[in-house]
Amino acid sequence: MAGPEAVPSLPVADLESDSLLGTFPEGRRLVGTRCGQCGQLMIGARVVCSSCVSRDVARVALPATGVLYSFTRLHGLSGKHSGGEGVRPVGYVDLDGGVRTLADIREGSTPLRPDMRVELGTDGDDWFFTPAAGQ
Amino acid sequence: MTENVYVVSAAMIPFGKHRNSSYVGLAVAPLIDALRGAGIGKSEVDAVYVGHSYGGMMTGQRITKEIGLGTVPTVNVDNACSSGASALHEAWTAISQGLADVAVVIGVEKLTQFGGGTLPLSPEDREVRQGLVMPAVYAMRATRYLHENDVGVEDLARVSVKARRHGALNPFAQFRQEVTVEEVLAARPVADPLTLLMCCPTGDGAAVVILASQRARDRLGIGRSIRVAASVLHSGQVEEGFRDMTKPEISYASARDAYAQAGVGPEDLDVIELHDAFSIAELVYYEAFGLTAKYSAAALLRDGRTTFGGDVVVNPSGGLLAKGHPVGASGVAQVAEAFWQLTGQAGARQVEGARWAMTHVTGGGTAGLDHGACTVHIFEAA
Repeated sequence: MAGPEAVPSLPVADLESDSLLGTFPEGRRLVGTRCGQCGQLMIGARVVCSSCVSRDVARVALPATGVLYSFTRLHGLSGKHSGGEGVRPVGYVDLDGGVRTLADIREGSTPLRPDMRVELGTDGDDWFFTPAAGQ
Repeated sequence: MTENVYVVSAAMIPFGKHRNSSYVGLAVAPLIDALRGAGIGKSEVDAVYVGHSYGGMMTGQRITKEIGLGTVPTVNVDNACSSGASALHEAWTAISQGLADVAVVIGVEKLTQFGGGTLPLSPEDREVRQGLVMPAVYAMRATRYLHENDVGVEDLARVSVKARRHGALNPFAQFRQEVTVEEVLAARPVADPLTLLMCCPTGDGAAVVILASQRARDRLGIGRSIRVAASVLHSGQVEEGFRDMTKPEISYASARDAYAQAGVGPEDLDVIELHDAFSIAELVYYEAFGLTAKYSAAALLRDGRTTFGGDVVVNPSGGLLAKGHPVGASGVAQVAEAFWQLTGQAGARQVEGARWAMTHVTGGGTAGLDHGACTVHIFEAA
């Protein structure tokens, strides 16, 4: 019994846009993806909705502010931005839009604590979160 | 109707830094010893399942060819730290469905090949490209857990103290020296609040267990065995929003399903071997397994209810913190410990009268997931 001719699935070029930092009309923001079908918001440049599996997704700017869910200071561990033997604070930031991102955290004079407000900062192509003003 | 499945033999090498041994060199001796322990020849083996993450192509076949164990299916299984237990789950599935009568399960890993440092993770993962390492994941879990209740870093240290006390009794353990709370807290910081003594060591290891159907066990006249009462494997489910890191849902769900499959509850367990890769893990898993209520794990530990003489002995082997954690080997080593505990062969660390044991191992750091895999097994003395 003949059926419709098989057509090829195509590879997804998911390595084309590696950086989480993008430029948007509102300025430099972390890149997110919103599903046009179910509204799901996701971190990063994505090509399919992980909830409804729609390919109708769009690149969006994520909010530049959020809450520090948790953090640690890595002591001389290997990693992309470890800085050798130095101490590297990293944390999970719950962005106001509803998604979480791993981020480098730059400490100022305010001690880090979970649930504190943080905001996005950039330094060239590097990005990080830092305690928000007033913390 | 599924077949009853039994563990009928176990063997392993002491975990440690075996720099002069390859994957084959690590695994071939326990493979031979496990077969001899069951009193069976290689011709009785219907299938081989091999858990490893860094062994490369055909690790299982490289091992089994050394003893001329070929022709039967050999399946290599990678589920990160859950690789060995996932291999066991596959063997259990085959036997319980009547597709095999006797299966060999090998867990093996050689981490000294990397020369130290944290586990290499997949660079295809977004958070790994950002520099995430496994100690950071558990450290952030610890920071949040300590933030949400009155548990202190001393409680994290007490997990390591118990692990080392148990490991001191275990000739298979990588670390056999006891430590104090003060020593744990004064150790080199790794990822705040975790110090080096709150982290499992890097090492090499291999463990082998033999599984058999009831029919094969009886036909071959194998006397010593334990019944696999539950075998559960879960995969992580993506969370695009805010995950509660103090409530690792993959372990909650896996334990729930294992209890249902075995028809027992946490109050029935005598021995648990759980995935204490970092000290915070043991506390959150007490709660995940229903040993105690949310945020009361530290009290359970402080009161001595999870060591010898307590309600249930958690990690009598010393766990990953003391016995060691050669990734793909750990899940099988846990089952070896359960076999020895439930057959009265655990020596100085024997839990008296043990009838029920549970093993638990998670696997993988992947962005958006709690863990990539979680395997829970429950065993009953036969």
